[in-house]
Amino acid sequence: MGLLKINGKEQIFPDNKMPATIADLLGLLGVDSTTVVAELEGQIIERKNFSTTPLHAGQTIELVRFVPGG
Amino acid sequence: MDKLVIAGRKFTSRLLIGTGKFSSSKAMAQAIEAAGAEIVTVALRRVDIANKDDDMLSAIDREKYLLLPNTSGARTADEAIRLSRLARAATGINWVKLEVTPDPYYLLPDPIETLKAAEILVKEGFIVLPYINADPILSKKLQDVGVATVMPLASPIGSNQGLKTRTAIEIIIEQANVPVVVDAGLGLPSHAAEAMEMGADAVLVNTAIATAVEPAKMAEAFKLAVIAGRTAYLSGAAAESKKANASSPLTGFLRNE
Repeated sequence: MGLLKINGKEQIFPDNKMPATIADLLGLLGVDSTTVVAELEGQIIERKNFSTTPLHAGQTIELVRFVPGG
Repeated sequence: MDKLVIAGRKFTSRLLIGTGKFSSSKAMAQAIEAAGAEIVTVALRRVDIANKDDDMLSAIDREKYLLLPNTSGARTADEAIRLSRLARAATGINWVKLEVTPDPYYLLPDPIETLKAAEILVKEGFIVLPYINADPILSKKLQDVGVATVMPLASPIGSNQGLKTRTAIEIIIEQANVPVVVDAGLGLPSHAAEAMEMGADAVLVNTAIATAVEPAKMAEAFKLAVIAGRTAYLSGAAAESKKANASSPLTGFLRNE
């Protein structure tokens, strides 16, 4: 079992479903990676590195995107 | 109309549009088009995992428009810097509309945190467009740290009250060596025209257009007002006087005197 804190909420993944990379996580969540930027443990991860950035249980990740605003 | 130049980049339009509060992405896209805008602001927020397909901004042609991310929601310089870096990672563009608004009721910008953030962001290579209260001293200090524009508010964000800070904005314009973009509170095209007549370089409008019954029509009205105001400014306004000055000859009347 692995736990990730995603956008402020804790999410538990069974061992065989634990996403290995940020790209895996986005795939699992069904989030289109082309519009997303990620921050892992306070460090910005560029989109081109999503598939090579490993995730480990206990990490905090923020997934943000542009929304309408003034 | 003469071009607007921000950080060396030329723009034909002097009307910047905010993308918030539109009823649909279609209404937003039509309004941006009708406004003839070239710069549109967007915000950065957490992805809503439960509603992840809600990508309203896919309606914006990013080749045609410069997306200007804002740091709305930031209450401190540190939060604004974090948002700016995320926005840069998301767009690959280093332009940012810097907003630090700790007070949720009036959403007035914090001058100290804004200046602090601006200085750091400029050093990190950002093109910084700070949203500020209409404070001429702050404007000068921001210019000194290298911001690309100053964006003084006309009245509180989304209030549609118009140009309540006129006197201070006139001083800011007089002292500015970067473009002055009047932002926030412009509720009618006449407000925008007034700001442009005073010599503002551009205006930013969101609520007044997005919440109009017909946003695209209102966007066009703002576009025309901005063009009218700028053209009037460039024409050199005639002087105001207390007494009447006849426009018609004061001789040759059809009466015996």
